[in-house]
Amino acid sequence: MLELHQVHKTYATPQGPLKVLEDVSLRLAAGQSLALMGESGSGKSTLLHLAAGIDLPDQGAITLEDQNVASLAEPARAKLRREQLGLVFQQFHLVPSLTVIDNLRLQARLAKRDDADWSGYLIERLGLTGMEKRYPEQLSGGQQQRLAIGRALAPRPSLLLADEPTGNLDETTAGKVLELLLSLVRETHCALLVVTHSPQVAAPLDRCLRLSHGRLLDAAP
Amino acid sequence: MTRVLSTLLSHYRRHPGQLVMLLLGLWVASALWSGIQAINATARDSYARADALFDTQLDQLERRDGAPLTRGEYYALRQAGLPVSPMLEGEVVTQAGTRLTLIGIDPLTLSSDNAMAQANTSASLSDFLTPPWQTRAAPDALAALGVARENASGATPTLADGNTLPPLVLAPALPPDTLIMDISAAARLLESGDEITRIVAAPWALAEAPSGFILTRATTLASPGQLTESFHLNLTALGLLAWVVGLFIVQAALGLALEQRLGMLRTLRVLGVSGRSLVVALCLELILLGLIGALAGIASGVWLARVLLPDVAATLGSLYGAGVGQELNLPWHYWVGGLAVSLGGLLLAGSGVLWRAARLNMLELGQMQAWRGGYRRQLTLMSISGALALSVALALYGWLRFQPPGDGLVAGFGLIAALLLASALWLPPFLALVLKVLTHLAQRRPLIHWAMADMQLQLPRLSLAMMALLIALATNLGVGSMVGGFRLTFLDWLDQRLVAPLYLNAPSEQYADIDVWLADRPEVFERLLTRRSDATLQATITPDGSRALGTPIELYGITPGESLTPHWPLLAIQQDRSSAWAAFSDGAIFVNEQLATAENLAPGDRLTLSAPGANETLTIAAIYPDYGNPRGQVLMASPQLAARFNAPPSSMGLVLNDNANVDAMRAALRERFDLGSDALSDQAEIKRIATEIFERTFTITRALNVLTLAVAALALFASLLAQARNRRQQLAPLWALGVPRAQLAQLNLAQLGGAALVTGLLAVPLGIAITWGLVAIINVAAFGWRLPLYLFPWEMAITLATAVGVALLAAALPTLRFWRASPRALLAEEANQ
Amino acid sequence: MSVRRLRNLLLVLIATVTLILYGCSDEDPTSTSSAGFAGLGQDVDGFQDAGSNSSLTFPADHSAHPDYRIEWWYLTANLEDESGEPLGLQWTLFRQALMAPSKRPEPTPWAADQLWMAHMALSQGEQHQVAERFGRSHSQAQLNTTQNSQAGVVANPFHAWLDDWQLKANDEADNRDFDNLTLTAYSGEGDTRFGYSLTLTAEGPLVLHGNGGFSQKAANGQGSMYYSQPFWQIEGDVTLNGETKTVSGRGWLDREWSSQLLDARQSGWDWFSIHLEDGHKLMAFRLRGGGDDTDQAQGADYRSGTWITPEGQATSLANSDITLTPQATSAVAGRDVPTRWRLEVPSAGLDMTIEAPHANRWMTTSVPYWEGEVVVTDHASGEPLGEGYLEMTGY
Repeated sequence: MLELHQVHKTYATPQGPLKVLEDVSLRLAAGQSLALMGESGSGKSTLLHLAAGIDLPDQGAITLEDQNVASLAEPARAKLRREQLGLVFQQFHLVPSLTVIDNLRLQARLAKRDDADWSGYLIERLGLTGMEKRYPEQLSGGQQQRLAIGRALAPRPSLLLADEPTGNLDETTAGKVLELLLSLVRETHCALLVVTHSPQVAAPLDRCLRLSHGRLLDAAP
Repeated sequence: MTRVLSTLLSHYRRHPGQLVMLLLGLWVASALWSGIQAINATARDSYARADALFDTQLDQLERRDGAPLTRGEYYALRQAGLPVSPMLEGEVVTQAGTRLTLIGIDPLTLSSDNAMAQANTSASLSDFLTPPWQTRAAPDALAALGVARENASGATPTLADGNTLPPLVLAPALPPDTLIMDISAAARLLESGDEITRIVAAPWALAEAPSGFILTRATTLASPGQLTESFHLNLTALGLLAWVVGLFIVQAALGLALEQRLGMLRTLRVLGVSGRSLVVALCLELILLGLIGALAGIASGVWLARVLLPDVAATLGSLYGAGVGQELNLPWHYWVGGLAVSLGGLLLAGSGVLWRAARLNMLELGQMQAWRGGYRRQLTLMSISGALALSVALALYGWLRFQPPGDGLVAGFGLIAALLLASALWLPPFLALVLKVLTHLAQRRPLIHWAMADMQLQLPRLSLAMMALLIALATNLGVGSMVGGFRLTFLDWLDQRLVAPLYLNAPSEQYADIDVWLADRPEVFERLLTRRSDATLQATITPDGSRALGTPIELYGITPGESLTPHWPLLAIQQDRSSAWAAFSDGAIFVNEQLATAENLAPGDRLTLSAPGANETLTIAAIYPDYGNPRGQVLMASPQLAARFNAPPSSMGLVLNDNANVDAMRAALRERFDLGSDALSDQAEIKRIATEIFERTFTITRALNVLTLAVAALALFASLLAQARNRRQQLAPLWALGVPRAQLAQLNLAQLGGAALVTGLLAVPLGIAITWGLVAIINVAAFGWRLPLYLFPWEMAITLATAVGVALLAAALPTLRFWRASPRALLAEEANQ
Repeated sequence: MSVRRLRNLLLVLIATVTLILYGCSDEDPTSTSSAGFAGLGQDVDGFQDAGSNSSLTFPADHSAHPDYRIEWWYLTANLEDESGEPLGLQWTLFRQALMAPSKRPEPTPWAADQLWMAHMALSQGEQHQVAERFGRSHSQAQLNTTQNSQAGVVANPFHAWLDDWQLKANDEADNRDFDNLTLTAYSGEGDTRFGYSLTLTAEGPLVLHGNGGFSQKAANGQGSMYYSQPFWQIEGDVTLNGETKTVSGRGWLDREWSSQLLDARQSGWDWFSIHLEDGHKLMAFRLRGGGDDTDQAQGADYRSGTWITPEGQATSLANSDITLTPQATSAVAGRDVPTRWRLEVPSAGLDMTIEAPHANRWMTTSVPYWEGEVVVTDHASGEPLGEGYLEMTGY
């Protein structure tokens, strides 16, 4: 499904080159869930971006569904993202100009995998029934994140990448949102990679890896 | 307070683009406005100087037979007890090639009451009267004379012909381009011998013209201020337009700066800063920025005026005969006024911001939601205001319909302004509606759907710039069509009136001999003698009754022969052209459009005209266009004019047979009658001069138009730049969802290009409406002539292309920056949000 | 074509020039009356000087003397209208050379070396009408026709003119000897029109003042050429306020030219021309300052005069022969002007009171002064003795 092999990433900063990832290798099988934990600045978000093809590694290989992400051109990576991946961000990143239902179906439509029944089911499952015509800012934080999860799952991706999906939510809401996320992931047999610093988030997942100063602490799988 | 102010201002340190945009708007608005005001102020100063000389306007005597006046005649008039004074006028050419008017006066008789007393001491009078004499000139003339201001006094510049002027004495109150000296010194420089140009008298000092002379009262001559009023109104309107467009930028920048600082303001309130101090601090900020922008603007305005002034001066000189100095002459109130207008505009634009800041709710949350509702309210308000503006336009139009043509210059401008305002106000609601419909229609095309929905979101920030663009485009199109139409009409009219290949301009006593000589020349097909003189329009007799007037008018005589009558343009005739011309030959008159408009005349009406020794009541057979003439004119057949009003000949057109040699004819005439080099001019030359004057007239209009469009483009560019960061934040997640950057960039350009296209399409009918307002109302009121409405599809296409081009250009930089931004930078921004 | 028309308009606009030209000149607007008196106290530099060795030749000397700095033809008259109401008039033609003879410009058209100024006044009761004209001429202009110059004087037949203000030989009389002249001058329009058309007949000879026509004006010897015709009998019409009346009476013409009339220290003069009932005439003047030959700033007054018998025999009166005492002043035009005088000439047995019946005879001309009719009475008895004219300058 997803495989990182000896990935290195360095950023140029005003203070000199900053090694963000060093020799990172990991593997995630289909339907599996993995939590990637680490302090702020440990490189976990970068790892997520590399996995999504948003950023490219300096060295090493990233394979997603048998495709080497790093060797793909931008349009192909974009296609990969919209068809194979679902992304959930800490700040939700809903499109403010679109209604709830249009937000939910946006990626599915882009990927030409729009399915009214599936979207309807997701709305129901996400507890957003009756709010379809609202705009994102008219929703509470929990509702917004649930909508973001819905948007990511609407095209039935094979891998869901989540970056601190509950980081902006209070504890109770966070628990509920996480529960929903996991149950939907299970329903869709979608692999899941969650980047978080919270043990509560990591606990229910299949596996957990720790990242510190750009290196994985636990040995590769 | 300083702390609050510095905290507020710290925002601009992080967003220098907004500061630049704000200052840019202020700068541009006040630069264009103050530039035009500087031109107006300078022109007004020049008129005031001419008017002051006019203060006791002078009546004039000319010989009835048109022969030049002589010194002996002047003495004879004096010895008959008439309080007249001699005057010599001519042109001198400076070494730089500039032509200056030289006037020689006799101060001893010019104002017999108090010449000596005014001269203060006999010494200064003596200096004026005796060698080496004095040249009095306004400082404006120094540049042409090649003299620096510091050592102007006493300088004796050399002229192109090698003569030197008497020592200069600066007289700031004199009109520009005019040198005044004693008549004896002028007679030497002009080599005028015993001839004098005119004999003048204080107004009404002469009860009647002495026999053998024609008396022209000073009141016959309108003052330049009056004549040029419409021209300056035109300029002011354009300046105001530029100012408004500039303020759009300011308003947009301020709104953005406030929106982004709402959090900061709220925090400050929470920290215990009172709402009042906050408003005061914002006011201070506005004034501080306003001062910087306005001062920079005024400085550039003065520069702009300096660049444009020569063309304006040339226009006013050739069109109205009004002398305008080439040197800016700005009274103190110009500076204060410029500053006040700039600051006033800023406060006007900033009032909304202050209002919002004053009512700031400390606990206000859900910004976006409040804002979405707010914008909807704003759109409603715009629709209502637009409807109001349109009602005003319709009301003005209705009112103008019941006014006699030629009235309502201000109402005409008001109508155009209301129309522009209505369209501008309706633009955002209209765009919003279009986008809503398109968003709905594009449900199945997710990207287009998104783009439309996204455009709705961008609209509030872009609407002001789009409004500015609409106004600029429409004005550009409107004025462009008017000028283009005028140009076509004018050139056509010139062709129709200039039928002879050769025109003769000789001393009037020579015409009789020349005519006899030409009559025997086989190559001359027709001799078109013109005559002119002045008269007073005493009364009009129309079907509505008779009306007493006392309007001075010009009498012009033409020879209605085979060459002229088929071409001479006529606007209104009673039956058909041939019967109009037949009546004309029999003594009916034609009146020019200006006169017909001013006095509401139609063919069939009768006019009572009087001149010394003549009083005639004549029937109008037709109305003809007479572009470029500020006065009312009555046209008669030359023989009729000679018989009834004893008018002297003024020129003669020579129509030659097909195979005749124009140059040979010219040479023969010149040799036979000892004519000067400027006595004969050919058609092409006259056309060239007339066209040149025409082109110059509209140079400034065109320049201002282009500047206004540039300002609108700048407004759009600044708006886009100011929200570029925001845009990237909105585009980044979309990109993360798998939309390629190239596609996003294209979409971005398409969004703006589309909006601009819609705006441009709306500008086309609006521009046509403006052209109509200009040719049918403003020109009639300002100049007295109505032009046909010409439309130029090619120009419209160019306007549309310009609109789209301007928008794409403005969108290009932000898009390019998005395109070139590294993914990490995009996400970093995203993460920082 | 419109191009030319527009151009013409421009010319007309600009041509309408008034004397604002001067309103904005840099000169300091100080103008005191004595300095304004046409440089009467300037140095001679380059001009011909009047001296005791100069002599007069007629008719040539009736004409202008452009080599001298200043000159005038000065007529005053004490008249009566049909109803016996007294009426006074003045007509003066002043000439001033603009430059020394050696600096004259070429006589091109309009070039001038002579500046002319004419004053006219007509007074009756409280009415006092004043007018002024200016002109220019070149001394080398051919004056055989008035069409060659705005102003000028021809000796024979006599003709002095500035515009239509003209004093000339009477065409209807034998005029070779300067005994029959006509004077016409009018000013104003309609109700404000005033002026006169008069014939002048001399009933006595010309009188030369001073030493054969040289009249000393200061103790240092400077002076002017000065002769008079004090015996005019005048008839004619005057127009005042648009009304014309027939008048008659006596007139006095002064002719005087000089290049340096006044001593620099002299501030003004008081000038009397008196017609006595017994046929005698008296001319007397007092120049204030310059009366002694010292370098004092002011100095004493300088007095001089001529006692003329009815036959025209003239006796010069010296400083010591004349006592002149101002006795009362009137406020005129913001100044105090002496309007009652005591004039004593013991050698002629005269002790007279000279009084102006109307003080408002201020000449509101560019150079202002007082000029008006006076009534002469015996100082002791108050008996009427005669009438005359008084001119006072420098107040």
